[in-house]
Amino acid sequence: MTTIATSSSSAGSEHAGLFGVLAEFDGPQSLVDAAANIRTAGYRRWDCYTPFPIHGLDKVMAIPRSILPMVVAGAAASGAIGALALAWFCNAYDYPMIFSGKPYWGLPAHTAVAFPALVLSGVVTSFMCVFVFCALPRFHHPLFEMPQFRRVTDDGFFLAIEATDPCFSPVNTAELLRSLGAVSVELVKD
Amino acid sequence: MTLAVNEVSVPVDFDNTGEDIIHPPVLMTGEASYKRVTTLVSRIIEAPKAPAIWYPCFFLSAGLAGLLFALIGYEVFTGVGVWGNNSPQGWGFPIINFVFWVGIAHAGTLISAILLLFRQKWRTGINRFAEATTVFAVVCAGIFPGIHVGRPWFAYWLAPYPNIMGDWPNFYSPLLWDALAVGTYTTVSVLFWYLGMIPDLATLRDRATTRFRHTVFGILSMGWRGSARHWKIYDRALLVIAGLATCLVMGVSSTVSTDFAVSQIPGWHETIFPPLFTVGAIFSGFATILFLAYPVRAIFGLKSLITDRHLDNVAKITLFMASIVFYIYLIEFFTAYYSGSTMERYVYLNWMFGPYWWAAWAMLVFNGVIPQVLWFKKARKTWWIAAPVGLFCLAGMWCERFVIIISSITHDFLPSSWHHFVPTWVDYGMLAGSFGLFFTLFLLFCRFVPVVAMYEVKSILPQSHVHLPKAAGEKK
Repeated sequence: MTTIATSSSSAGSEHAGLFGVLAEFDGPQSLVDAAANIRTAGYRRWDCYTPFPIHGLDKVMAIPRSILPMVVAGAAASGAIGALALAWFCNAYDYPMIFSGKPYWGLPAHTAVAFPALVLSGVVTSFMCVFVFCALPRFHHPLFEMPQFRRVTDDGFFLAIEATDPCFSPVNTAELLRSLGAVSVELVKD
Repeated sequence: MTLAVNEVSVPVDFDNTGEDIIHPPVLMTGEASYKRVTTLVSRIIEAPKAPAIWYPCFFLSAGLAGLLFALIGYEVFTGVGVWGNNSPQGWGFPIINFVFWVGIAHAGTLISAILLLFRQKWRTGINRFAEATTVFAVVCAGIFPGIHVGRPWFAYWLAPYPNIMGDWPNFYSPLLWDALAVGTYTTVSVLFWYLGMIPDLATLRDRATTRFRHTVFGILSMGWRGSARHWKIYDRALLVIAGLATCLVMGVSSTVSTDFAVSQIPGWHETIFPPLFTVGAIFSGFATILFLAYPVRAIFGLKSLITDRHLDNVAKITLFMASIVFYIYLIEFFTAYYSGSTMERYVYLNWMFGPYWWAAWAMLVFNGVIPQVLWFKKARKTWWIAAPVGLFCLAGMWCERFVIIISSITHDFLPSSWHHFVPTWVDYGMLAGSFGLFFTLFLLFCRFVPVVAMYEVKSILPQSHVHLPKAAGEKK
């Protein structure tokens, strides 16, 4: 008994071998309504899976704002400053040379260098951020084992609650999802 | 025309070009279901064979692309003397082709990025293949400066790297800006294109019937599973990239124009060049879409997704851009006259009545006059008028680059340095070959990659619009 008591304190091992429960809904509207209820019910570790981004679903799910734009702004600024510094180092410091009587280092002309560097570092950073923040690529996921989940990229609208959620219970959670109008509710093995 | 009640599916050949201030326009004709969007696009890739017309088109294009690479080999082994380039005309066809292809490259980013920023829903039907034209046109563009340097194995000299001579590139040089701008543009357009494609690649993964397809699309789609938390980050990233890419479009074409505008040559030394090149780039890109969209949707049966309304909008933007381009031409002539500078006036007269008169007149007629037929709805709706207009615009834009590059510098200040430019068969071969390369890549793209952004089309279908529950509404 003691072992069970200790292990239940660390969430997840209570439902060992279980990823969670997967519910399918018949369209964007019923999914959004269900998501609102799941959130009100106090669940924390859950997610919706849709073929396209549903406008407003993030608000319903209370997904926090992404820090991505901030990271990108930082990267873009460093890119621009780096390019200006490079131009200064090359043409004004390490090997000063006069081109057409212009100053060694001049902001107007070097803007043409700084700008692409700004865009390049900004775009490459946003691209990388998608994968870092989404923890992708991840080629295997317990949900991929569910045959109906293949429709998530076609016309399937899913909601999955993970077993690690403190409120999770294989019976009650499934029941709740069924009561919210899910067309199918199934347990997902880990 | 007011049959825009969104819950009702309209016939496939429904005319959705009408204006209706109450109902949002119908952007997918036929049965507007998610399943049908997936099927319409995926079946092109999943079909065991391409449509019959694809094969002759592909082999013709691939032959021309082969010609391009053969000529590049010939040029590299023989030297730049195989071109018609001479002194003072050191740029010739390679740079004309470069500027021309860079211009075409811009519409893809523009359609995707600017229309995304402005939340224009109709972009979803055409953005994917517009972005594809961007990537392929940049590939074509990038080849020419690479071989034009004469000894392409030294092209890395453009990069600032510590070398045994202890010197560095000149950061005041527009040619360095050019390399940086085009390199950035290539990277950005590829990343934007690929990132936008990930959910659609996941669709193909999930529909795969063979192990091979499942593996290939599985790797390419990065394990995408449509999570709402991922969509949020993904959306944000695409928006940020769109914002940066929009500025980049302006930046790259302006930078290309400084190759000319920063010099002292009459006909090049003009402050109007950055906007002219930007508008010209957007114009030629939209003309490309106008020209390509009709065959693409006819061959691959995508009339429901690339509807008449999409093409009507593309035609209208082409017309708008053509009008700005034409206006700038007129302003250039006026400025030359008004400047009172003998050389400036002479250059423009020489454009129109000198040895290359045909190029200047073609530029004015093809870019300025012919697109004006797009004012008529009948012309915009008739494929055999609209598509050839797109082709004329492309020819006109190529002539514009010819006029700027060839006509101006072959007759500059000193008559003693005047020299006529005559292209050689290698020049013509490479021009044709670059079209071959473009179409080879484009045809491969149509066959093996989703031509229409499925997830984006699904997101604008009427049933995708949800009403937020009260609890969530109160929160914000």
